[in-house]
Amino acid sequence: MPEIDVSKTIPMLLIWAWLLPLGAFGVLLFFAPWLDRRGRAAGWLATGAVAGSFLLSLLALGFWVAKGPTGAEPAGHSGQTAGVSSQTRAPSENPTRPITDHTVHQPDGRLESIAERASHQSGLARPGPIVGRLFSWARFGRYEISLTYYIDTLTVLMCMMVSLVALCIHIYSLGYMAEELHEVSDPLVQAAGGGPLRRPGRFGRFFQYLSLFVFSMLGLVLAGHLVMIFMFWELVGLCSYFLIGFYRERPSAQAAAMKAFVVNRVGDMGFLVGLMALGGLVGTWSLGDMPDSLGQPVAGVFTQLHELLVGQSAAAEGSLPSGLGMPSGGGFSRTLWILAAVGIFCGCVGKSAQFPLHVWLPDAMEGPTPVSALIHAATMVAAGVYLVGRFYPAFPPEVLLVIAVVGTITLLIGATIALVATDIKRVLAYSTISQLGYMMLGLGVGGWAAGLLHLVTHAFFKALLFLCSGSVIHAVGTNEMPQMGALRRKMPWTAWTMLVGCLAIAGAGLPGLVGLSGFYSKEAILAQVYLFCREQPAVGGWLFAAALAGAGLTAFYMFRLWYMTFAGPPKDEHIFHHAHESPPVMVGPLVVLAGLAIVAGWRVPGTSLSLQQLLDRDRPVLLAAENAARYLPGVGQPGDRTSAESGTSAEYGKMQPLAGSPVWPVVIPEEHRSHDPGVAGPVGWMAFAAALAGFLLATAIYGMRKLAPERIVQAAPAVYTFLKNKWYFDQLYEAAFVRPVLRLADGTVDVDRQVLDRTADGMARGLIRLARMEDWLDRRWVDALFNRSAEAAYRLGLGLRRLQTGELRQYVLWAVLGAVAIFVLVSLGW
Amino acid sequence: MPLEGSWESTALLTLIVFGPAIAALGLLLAPKRRTRAIKLLSLSATMVVLVGTGYLCFLLKQSPPIGQTDGMSAAGPAVVVRLPWIPAFGVEYFLGVDGISLPLVLLTSFLSVLAMLASWTIQRHEKAYCVLFLLLETGLLGVFLALDFFLFYVFWEVTLLPMYFLIGLWGGPRREYAAVKFFLFTLAGSVLMLVAMLMLYFSSDLRLLSPSELAACHAGEASPSEDDSGVEPRKPGESSERFGDTSAGSSDRPRHTFNLLALAALGQSRNLKQMPASFALGKAESKEKSSGVEGQAATLGPLDRPLLWGKSVQWWAFLLLLAGFLVKVPSVPVHTWLPDAHVEAPTPISMLLAGVLLKMGGYGLLRIAYPICPAGGYELAWLVCGLGLVSMIYGAFAALAQKDFKRLVAYSSVSHMGYVVLGLGVWSATAAVGYRIDAWLMGSSGALFQMIAHGITSAGMFFLVGVIYDRVHHRDLDQMGGLLHRMPSFGAVSIVIFFGAMGLPGLCGFVGEVLVLLGAWHYSAWVAAVGATVVILTAGYILWTIQRVYLGAEYRGPHPEALEPMSCREMAVALPLAVLAVVLGVYPQTVFSYAEPSVRQTIQQLADWTRRYEAAQPSAANLANPASSETQPVNFQQPSVFQNHSVTVADVDR
Repeated sequence: MPEIDVSKTIPMLLIWAWLLPLGAFGVLLFFAPWLDRRGRAAGWLATGAVAGSFLLSLLALGFWVAKGPTGAEPAGHSGQTAGVSSQTRAPSENPTRPITDHTVHQPDGRLESIAERASHQSGLARPGPIVGRLFSWARFGRYEISLTYYIDTLTVLMCMMVSLVALCIHIYSLGYMAEELHEVSDPLVQAAGGGPLRRPGRFGRFFQYLSLFVFSMLGLVLAGHLVMIFMFWELVGLCSYFLIGFYRERPSAQAAAMKAFVVNRVGDMGFLVGLMALGGLVGTWSLGDMPDSLGQPVAGVFTQLHELLVGQSAAAEGSLPSGLGMPSGGGFSRTLWILAAVGIFCGCVGKSAQFPLHVWLPDAMEGPTPVSALIHAATMVAAGVYLVGRFYPAFPPEVLLVIAVVGTITLLIGATIALVATDIKRVLAYSTISQLGYMMLGLGVGGWAAGLLHLVTHAFFKALLFLCSGSVIHAVGTNEMPQMGALRRKMPWTAWTMLVGCLAIAGAGLPGLVGLSGFYSKEAILAQVYLFCREQPAVGGWLFAAALAGAGLTAFYMFRLWYMTFAGPPKDEHIFHHAHESPPVMVGPLVVLAGLAIVAGWRVPGTSLSLQQLLDRDRPVLLAAENAARYLPGVGQPGDRTSAESGTSAEYGKMQPLAGSPVWPVVIPEEHRSHDPGVAGPVGWMAFAAALAGFLLATAIYGMRKLAPERIVQAAPAVYTFLKNKWYFDQLYEAAFVRPVLRLADGTVDVDRQVLDRTADGMARGLIRLARMEDWLDRRWVDALFNRSAEAAYRLGLGLRRLQTGELRQYVLWAVLGAVAIFVLVSLGW
Repeated sequence: MPLEGSWESTALLTLIVFGPAIAALGLLLAPKRRTRAIKLLSLSATMVVLVGTGYLCFLLKQSPPIGQTDGMSAAGPAVVVRLPWIPAFGVEYFLGVDGISLPLVLLTSFLSVLAMLASWTIQRHEKAYCVLFLLLETGLLGVFLALDFFLFYVFWEVTLLPMYFLIGLWGGPRREYAAVKFFLFTLAGSVLMLVAMLMLYFSSDLRLLSPSELAACHAGEASPSEDDSGVEPRKPGESSERFGDTSAGSSDRPRHTFNLLALAALGQSRNLKQMPASFALGKAESKEKSSGVEGQAATLGPLDRPLLWGKSVQWWAFLLLLAGFLVKVPSVPVHTWLPDAHVEAPTPISMLLAGVLLKMGGYGLLRIAYPICPAGGYELAWLVCGLGLVSMIYGAFAALAQKDFKRLVAYSSVSHMGYVVLGLGVWSATAAVGYRIDAWLMGSSGALFQMIAHGITSAGMFFLVGVIYDRVHHRDLDQMGGLLHRMPSFGAVSIVIFFGAMGLPGLCGFVGEVLVLLGAWHYSAWVAAVGATVVILTAGYILWTIQRVYLGAEYRGPHPEALEPMSCREMAVALPLAVLAVVLGVYPQTVFSYAEPSVRQTIQQLADWTRRYEAAQPSAANLANPASSETQPVNFQQPSVFQNHSVTVADVDR
């Protein structure tokens, strides 16, 4: 059997998986209305494209797992895409770079990369990323902007997850959006002539936007250049804009779409500043080492940053390494580094709806429910978490702490607001915010695999929950939970699959034995927070307490939702009477997603393979930790490594601050230690207890009606109002930003009108006045002078005319007198 | 072999520049009532010009530029026409195209075709309109192609009058106010430019340039006139000086020039000859000569002579040029003519005004102000960047407050052109970065790209506003809505163009903006960070506009019955712009492959100048006290394409 070169096959598979939805988009762009007249052809086309993407991604995942390109061949060109497979994540295997003293020489003379060293810890072979360039956008000296890919485990997993969830949601939408096939009457919009507005359906357009979204999202996870990531980042935002505003006749949908885009732009501005700072720091935005036009590898962000950090550490020791072409005279500014990292995190804050930019996500529920499931729960909003994970090695520890704190605040805000929301989709939206906060918290305290595992499992169960809520809304025609109840009798499939979702998000499972997917990911995050708490009790204590409280709140509001919707007596008989189970095309995806929500955390039977293990295998090492461990005295010299791997050295893996750190020492614990039974055991039981408490409370209040919710509200009305008003964020932003900006805008117009225009007009008027004055001068003096002299001459002429009498004698007399006068004058004068 | 002076390039460039004018002359003979024929003739004239510029594009790819020996792709002007015009003052008919002008020339001819197509709705005095329109196109093309300052100035003024009449006669209700305002503002600008031009002219002296530099600048004798072809016997050793003395008696008189390339070489003190003492430039230099510091003058060009308040000729010239060009860009605070002119101008004229006319300012900065007066650009970089930044923010805020659709688009132009000014102004190749030009190059290329992108999106937006106005006869944003529903294809094209203007990645607006901001970081992190806030404001006003005009349940304004779908003609105008917005956004290399080498050369020369200038700076008193600057580097070799080219002067002449 011929050897398959995975470093070429996997990119090819994923690029096709990426381009298929683009093709569907292109077709639908021009033919959607035409296809709409032919039933669901548009939907099937888009679904087929996504199914193709999913199969290709799955194939790529298979290749990746079966045969990661571990240390096979040296960097070389690969075919027509000029792609180059490089085994280096970060430093050292770059043949052109001078070998600096930081690289560990293996016995066989090879250089050991960070990736390999990390893999030694987890005891697994860890494949490096596959990088390559599709085409170059622009190149200015050392700055290059190009369309590149960067494929590692995270990429492959994300591609698989995105296309799988997207496939389920496409199929579901075939049923859910069926009403768009005909003329739609929108009861929420008043037509000019009274009555609900009637408009043509937009079935094809819906799938057109969905296809564009899948293309953009896959592009986002494939991209290996931060500017490219930024491009797709904005493109998914655009798709989100279109889909939130899908019911564009509704003013609320328009406002929500615009709010989402503008709030995201605030984050993107931070992203842009981060990109600038990164450009100033390392002079490149390419993540991996990319070959230039001559085939020589050019160091990417990770490598450059590594070199800079090594340089700084070495400088502290007094020996500077022979650096490769360092920018800006080789200076390394820690401030710039932090600024770059914070800036990039700002983008993540916007996209992943973290505090303080979380306000757009609940409003985004104006879009159709499948959109909420796909974009505003499973994939796009997770892009921020993805980017933190992607850029993770390059985050300085201080910024990781910021990420953890922001995640914690978000987690609490989301969970508390979800307690009192009554719109079923908004409960889920706030739950999404809260869970995204969880992921950020996990990443921030060093739990790379934990946070990203939660990203994947959350995608499955949150998509499931949203689709279930869509099924309910489809059946009852309202979002308000107080009007529902007892629906499990009418729609059992929806009810039980949703129960699976609730259990998964609550993290149901028996510690040490088995659980639903959410159990594994949530426990992993909590274990890591607990570890962090042990290292840094001052901050970590609060983080851990908040995370535990969040787990309890999650269980509470999810079961509150389930009980209010499916249990108890029906609240509105009319609605209950008309409720019905959804068609198979909608129930099918629910069942598939429910299955995934159960098993996503499990091992593949017969092997040791699981998502968690796969992520653990590819866990990157913080560049900062790496260098601190190597070069700072007392923090684990290279020699300590053997003891570190056995886990006996408590010192290893701690992150000590580099010299000149502006904040107090931040210690990011190594993630593998969180798998210790000593950590994972107690944390598992604590999480179990918290979730159980939440579940029992919800059961008591909403399931068994032992406690009336109204009485709890009356006990603390201020808290209730505060939460009901969503912590007053919207009002605050309206007053603090929106209105001042609009006032400032009016101010500029006034400046234009009152100052600049008046100045210009005034100058013109002044000129005219000057001209008038000159005109007056002309008339009054200059003209007058000439006129007067002319008049005088005229008068003189008139006077002289009298001399002309016609009498010859008189003429002769005058002639004689004249002659005499001349004679006298001449004789006297001369 | 460069195409200078060849029959082909002369004919081509002349056809491009004067084709529209010739067509306009032809139109004068046409009967006035055959309006359709007149429009068709004008349209075909613009199309011929477009084909010509397309061929130019092809030629530029084909022909190696002058002095190309080191593998660099086309950088200097490659297709050149040079004929004497007013020999007494050294004025020449000197046209040329390089990577900086080519995209703008293409943009001009392309937008002219579309604007002419959009002119079908003009119903009054069609003949006069078309004549003026074509004259305007000649002026615009001439500005972008002229390499002689005097010629540039003439074309610059030629654009002014047709525009005045086009606004003043075919405009809206306040057209007279707008036309006069436009005229006065831009006239004030061009007067300042005229003063600067004369200052530079009378300070210039071609005798100072070395022969190779003269050849590179096409500054040799314009044509082998009779008296030059052998009447005067010349010694071989004298050949390098043969440009200084066309007649034996005048060899001690300076030889002034309007040649932009030569002026740039003089302004940057590039490859200056070792001057004999008799060429002493001023008091300072002669003192210096007498004190025996030979060659110091080589770092002090003729334009470095102090003029007023201790500032040099080029500093003052830069200030005047800057003022002149910024009026055109327009930059805050001299921008107020723009909204009025746009609101009153008919749609096709707005398209040309925003799409092309504003670019004259940016082009002037990049082509004239910076290369010729680097000292001014270097010292006033803060001013240029500040004005660019203020324009970006101010324009965005003002756009946010508008109720009139067209006024909003006009203010968005102010904001977008602010990016151009900022991108050009970031003088970041200083000693702090080892004179690396990468960031500056990125900013300037971004600015050039932004000009093209803005030309596409703003012309598109003005056209779209015109399409609505033609139907419902108002532009009140609060009385619109639901147009996406009423006119679906119009809505789709509009959204592409508006998002392009917003700077959405994948569309053309993004490329320029992001490159300018990324480049600005190296000049000042604060400027770049503050500039980045503009992306929020831009998103705000564009999305708000889309919401008010295109989304919503239904149109709520006068004349709802008139909202019919776009006609084929309208689609033919809008669709190419939308397609181009996508193509340039996805593959900006199309522009950069032409522009980058030329911008690189310009920036590299300026960076080399900065190196010399900053090396001379520590002894800032070297004007007054030249003896202290003995150790200053002398006569830097230019490491650009000019260095070892082998084109002899005689080759250039013939």
